[in-house]
Amino acid sequence: MRMALALAVLTLAPATAWAGDFTMTVRNKAGVPVQNAVVMVYPTAGAAPRITGPYVITQKDITFDPFVMIVPVGAEVKFPNKDKVRHHVYSFSAGNRFEIKLYGKDETRSVVFKAPGAAAIGCNIHDRMAAYVRVVDTPFAVKTGADGIAIVRGVPGGSAAVRVWHPYLRAPKNEVAATVVIPAQGAVGQAQSVEIRAPANTHQGH
Amino acid sequence: MFQSLRTRLTVLYAALFGLAMLLVALAVYGAITAAARRQVENELVAGGAVFDRLWTLQSDQLSDAASVLARDYGFREAAATSDQATIASALENLKGRLGLDVAFLVGMDGKVTGLAGADADMSRQLWEDLDGGAVSGVLQLKDQPYQAVSAPVLAPQALGWVVFAQRLDRAEMASLEELSSIPLKAAVAVKDHKGWTAPGLSRDDGEQLAAFTAAAMRAKTARPRNLSTREGATIALAKPLKAFGGENASALVLRYPLSLALGPYRLMLASVFIVGLAGMGMVIGGSFLLARSITKPVSALDDAARRLQAGERVTLQASTKDELGRLALSFNAMADGIADRERRITRMALTDQETGLPNRRAFEAAMAASEGRSVAVIGIDRYQELRNALGYRLAADVTREIGARLSAVWPEAGIARLSNERLGFVLDTLRSEAATELVLAALEEPLVLDGATVDVELTAGLAPIHSDEPIPAIERASIALDQARASGRKVAPFDAEAYGDPGSKLSLMSEMLTALHDGSMALHYQPKYSLMERRMTGAEALVRWRHPVRGTVPPDLFVELAEETGHIRELTRFTLQRIIADQMLLRAAGHDLRLSLNLSGRLVGDRAFVDEMVAQVREAGAKLCFEITETAVIGNKDAALVNIDVMRASGIAISIDDYGSGLSSLAYLKQLPADELKIDKAFILSLAESTRDALLVKSTIDLAHSLGLKVVAEGVETEKAMALLSTMGCDLAQGWHIAKALPLDKLVEFLAVSSQSERAPMARSA
Repeated sequence: MRMALALAVLTLAPATAWAGDFTMTVRNKAGVPVQNAVVMVYPTAGAAPRITGPYVITQKDITFDPFVMIVPVGAEVKFPNKDKVRHHVYSFSAGNRFEIKLYGKDETRSVVFKAPGAAAIGCNIHDRMAAYVRVVDTPFAVKTGADGIAIVRGVPGGSAAVRVWHPYLRAPKNEVAATVVIPAQGAVGQAQSVEIRAPANTHQGH
Repeated sequence: MFQSLRTRLTVLYAALFGLAMLLVALAVYGAITAAARRQVENELVAGGAVFDRLWTLQSDQLSDAASVLARDYGFREAAATSDQATIASALENLKGRLGLDVAFLVGMDGKVTGLAGADADMSRQLWEDLDGGAVSGVLQLKDQPYQAVSAPVLAPQALGWVVFAQRLDRAEMASLEELSSIPLKAAVAVKDHKGWTAPGLSRDDGEQLAAFTAAAMRAKTARPRNLSTREGATIALAKPLKAFGGENASALVLRYPLSLALGPYRLMLASVFIVGLAGMGMVIGGSFLLARSITKPVSALDDAARRLQAGERVTLQASTKDELGRLALSFNAMADGIADRERRITRMALTDQETGLPNRRAFEAAMAASEGRSVAVIGIDRYQELRNALGYRLAADVTREIGARLSAVWPEAGIARLSNERLGFVLDTLRSEAATELVLAALEEPLVLDGATVDVELTAGLAPIHSDEPIPAIERASIALDQARASGRKVAPFDAEAYGDPGSKLSLMSEMLTALHDGSMALHYQPKYSLMERRMTGAEALVRWRHPVRGTVPPDLFVELAEETGHIRELTRFTLQRIIADQMLLRAAGHDLRLSLNLSGRLVGDRAFVDEMVAQVREAGAKLCFEITETAVIGNKDAALVNIDVMRASGIAISIDDYGSGLSSLAYLKQLPADELKIDKAFILSLAESTRDALLVKSTIDLAHSLGLKVVAEGVETEKAMALLSTMGCDLAQGWHIAKALPLDKLVEFLAVSSQSERAPMARSA
């Protein structure tokens, strides 16, 4: 499913001329690849992301899936409950606060994420359930895989700002910034080392 | 202190027992102390364990409460939206409900809510502690220790931490103390950058505790340790407490005074002490009694020995049959033996062995009780001769026989033998002389000894017994006996006047020696007139002593005394030197006289002295005559005759002085190699009146002349006597009719006058 999502993102990239691919490798201080880091590229000639979809975060086995989801501003995310128990999904994140009170099995509720940024999503009944929706305002955003690599394709050439975000990244707003020059054609790679703190609570590993 | 055996035994036993008790007491005390100490240590360790559980329990409770709050949906919402008022009120609400001292929220951004007085430093420190993972432990807020726990606020990402804390104050410690089975004291010591402190305690106590904790922490031991306090030894355990975060360490200190731990054992120690004292008393009493049973007979023996030494008669009671009893019996036997011997010795000491009569010592003892009576000393006359004739044994028999006779006629007289020939007895002073004469008459009956008849003559001296007399009565009676013999009496009382004072005699001699040098002793010369040549041919030197206090001292007195005391040598040396010097002066004045010197009979036999004199005479070339009495030769005849030869060989003429007054033995006259014979003045004084004397003088002159001796007549006091002597053929005359003894200057004058007149002086010179 995760792979499918990644493929979906790739297919979104416009196949235009004067665009290159940007590969970002994210590792922690120990050199271990960091998964689920969101790499966001802001080229000078930016473009608004388009809402595609559907965006779904499933609750199954008392776990949110996926753990990290990238959505464009204004996207609607569905929260289907596949568990037999009830969940009380909420987020206190500024601009994206919501609360889906005690909905039962196979019930699906959706939430529109209006504010760019990270929305931490939890379940008030099950403390160890956690998920993060990264609301982005750029079409060039990809999350790293288990190898810590994210490839952003079709980025317009030229200088671009890069932001790397991760829910546990030890930095203000859990993200670090960098710049990169994207070639008009071809690929460029960059590595980013980040400090990852232990998760505050036990939940699904990453 | 330990002079007596009893004390020594008692002290020894008491000391041994006391030592044993002391060791027991020490052992008991040591065991008790160790046990008490172990108990306290275990209790402290147990207390520590209890505290651990308590701590965990409380920590869990706080943690649970914090978690509940941190998960409260509304609280999380308030925290996520930074709703300070809501957060603060929620915290306040919980503090009240759970009885918490402190409850606050630390946001991920470092903002602290709900903690009064939190400044920037404190906020940063708290954030760092919490961000570093602080979950529970001792948190120091404003120097006060708190037990703190934290719980993260998750939504679901960390929004911050809820911190709940309870102050570790005295009340908290008291509740811990109550859980222990012994009343130990608990306190918390904390360490900050300044070092260890113990908040909530008095200053001294706190400092002591802090120092102890610091040492214990350095030692890294979990065992209880000793802590000396003002209240005495204390056992304490310092238990490190987990810090909430950061560097600040803290420790729980549990203390328990050893004296309290020993409390329950005091009764036991007191019992040991009392039992020890009672035992000591019994040992002292017992050993005292035992020692007394031993030392009592010993003391009695000691006392008896002392009394025996003092001369008492002692008999000991042998109360037991042991060694001490046998010792008492031996002592009694010894005391009896000593008494026997003493009696024998006393008897011997008081008895004359030859005669069996009481001796002088016994007599003196008897006299001591006879004050006011008189003592008579009887002497056997000519005892020497008697003993020579009869032998020593029979001579002693004579003494014993006389003593026996006296005892027979006068048993109460207390007869005793005083010396070989003297017996003493005591009689009443009244008519003692007459009584003694009667007794002597009875005793002089001839004795029959070994079949031979012996005649004895007795003389007696009497003296009254007065203890205040300087001379003892026996001596005075003995002197009286001598005086009686001297005066030819049968019985004589002591004549103190005739005897003189021996003390004054000695001082007279010392004064005489002084007089020889200070000029008060002088020589006078009595001229000798030659009836043939009708001129002065010689002079006799006579010593004259003018004593500055006594006046003129008669020569009879001091010359005789000088002979007795040996000072006669000094006197004779003085005379000889003076004569030699004076003869020089006379020669210078043109008078050649032979000067005569009286030489004591005692010196004639002294060869060394004679040599000394002869040497002087030779050296001076003096012309001298030594006048000696014929008795002088009796004592040591051979030596005297040799010395006389020596003197004559040196030109010294020898004159026999006082011829006719003594024994005037013809034998001596024959033997004595003299030049001159001096007829005693007793014959010359009555020469004119007594035809007998005239005959004696005439025959003596003839006898002397026939032996080749010149004759000198002494005591010529009348013209008639001088005329008679002249017709009798006497060679020299000496006497007042010619001249008195004159000092040298007067002699020179007299010689000058008489040589001018060239005739015999017809009148006495002045």
